Amino acid sequence: MTEPVIEAQGLSKSYGSTVALRGLDLQVTPGQVFGFLGPNGAGKTTTIRILLDLIRQNSGSVRVLGLDPRDDGVALRRRIGYLEGDFVVDGRQSGHELLTYLGNLRGGVPASRITELAQRLRLDLRPKIKTLSKGNRQKVGLIQAFMHEPELLILDEPTGGLDPFLQQEFTAMAREVVAEGRTVFMSSHVMSEVQKTADRVGIIRDGLMASVDDVERLRESSIRHVEIVFADPVPAEEFAGIEGVSDLNVSGEVLRCRLDGSADALVKAAATHTVLSLTSQEPDLEEVFFHRYENGPAGHPASGAQS
Amino acid sequence: MIRSVYAKWLWDSRRSLLAWTLGILFVGCGYAAFWPTIDNPDIAELIANYPEAILEALNYTNITTPDGYLMATVYGLVVAVLMLVFAIASGTRIIAGEEEAGTLDVTLSHPVSRASVALQRVAAFVTAVVALVAVFWVAMLAVAGPASFDSVSPARFAAMHLHLGLFTVVFGCLSFAVGAATGRRALALAVGAVVGVIAYAASGIIPQVEGLEWVKDYSAFFWLTGSAPLTNGVDPAHVGIMLGLSVLFVAIGTVGLQRRDLAV
Repeated sequence: MTEPVIEAQGLSKSYGSTVALRGLDLQVTPGQVFGFLGPNGAGKTTTIRILLDLIRQNSGSVRVLGLDPRDDGVALRRRIGYLEGDFVVDGRQSGHELLTYLGNLRGGVPASRITELAQRLRLDLRPKIKTLSKGNRQKVGLIQAFMHEPELLILDEPTGGLDPFLQQEFTAMAREVVAEGRTVFMSSHVMSEVQKTADRVGIIRDGLMASVDDVERLRESSIRHVEIVFADPVPAEEFAGIEGVSDLNVSGEVLRCRLDGSADALVKAAATHTVLSLTSQEPDLEEVFFHRYENGPAGHPASGAQS
Repeated sequence: MIRSVYAKWLWDSRRSLLAWTLGILFVGCGYAAFWPTIDNPDIAELIANYPEAILEALNYTNITTPDGYLMATVYGLVVAVLMLVFAIASGTRIIAGEEEAGTLDVTLSHPVSRASVALQRVAAFVTAVVALVAVFWVAMLAVAGPASFDSVSPARFAAMHLHLGLFTVVFGCLSFAVGAATGRRALALAVGAVVGVIAYAASGIIPQVEGLEWVKDYSAFFWLTGSAPLTNGVDPAHVGIMLGLSVLFVAIGTVGLQRRDLAV
């Protein structure tokens, strides 16, 4: 196994009486998109700001690209591209002006590289940043994180404010980074967004890593809400015993249930009738959490979790 | 092409620097041009009838000479107050202002150390002050003939402007230090303003109280005009105090910044 890009052990951080992290462990190996998933206030931004030495942990150790953020911050940040959750810059400059300057702080980034990224994200670099929409400002933020082709990209909620086309473009950009053997560490509170982009997902909750999994496995294990509309009314008992089905509710032609794991058995049972439509909805994040705490192998007590 | 935090700071401040320069030239030269009106026997007689304590409290004791007038009004009061406000605003913005606006993170997530960002910006602020007092010096020399205070030599004006520049730098560095060490913009502004007001009182009114004459030695306003640089040239002791305090403040702010968490 190659050396991890990010390795944190027992990270703790409090702000006054507010505890943000309570002993977080994190390991990210190179050449993957790691999705750092959790609800607002779980400690995602706190963790990320420690990685960049913007804040310091109360206890625990952290190494990024083999370096200590505290001791080798400058050398480390040279090799990192960072997009903060709330990208704010002085609005009285154009995107071009800002990106050229930030590139110069890194020893220069070719103008062609900036133009290429701007074209790809369909961003006009000429207007003053204060005149840009929230989504366009986010593009400026994405460009400054990607433009110097860093070994590690640390992105805090990168796709907030982007429309579906741009979210897709972002996913493509992240996949290209990984294809070159570089690494992306991105936080999000949107499950579907992480599933599209990431190879591996770490779920953080209440300042602790609740579980770390490959996206594929998480997808299989996560529950969905399924609604099937049949041509004619169906008997509920036909579906009651099916593996993974719970909260079953059949009223006339419409079947609603919660599905855990593979959809195979349910689909095969439904196929004996005429199916007009089938929708499968991903649960919101909280539900995934609760589900994992109920059944999952998460080693930490689910304090405060209600089912 | 902007390659450094230092150059970026100056470039981003260009509009506000222009505004401050024009304001100070306008007010400073305006008050200075008033000198011929003051310079007549009626005013001299009026002044002579004032109680000595009031004249001292207002630093008006030598107001009937051109250098005395300029130090009492232009350098000791109106321009000093404008420079003070400029200094506090600039010093606060260096770290605390940017931090509260949320723009500091972007800079500090790049390969520059916190100390380097702080020192480059302080250097940019000092550069701006030097430019400001230099332009103001040229303007005063230009007005000197028409306003008939050309008996004061350019060298004496240069000495006065050195004191004025350092006076500005001290307050800028004070607000920088408070802001950098705490990250609190309001506190940095408040400390600068309160110290400024106390320093003003300590150079004029407070020393009139029996037994409190000594406080003026600790006032930045006294270090500015107390040695009468326009009459006597540079005062090494006062220049040294202002220089030393500035260095101390910059050190405190830079060390404080390195040791703390940055606000989101």
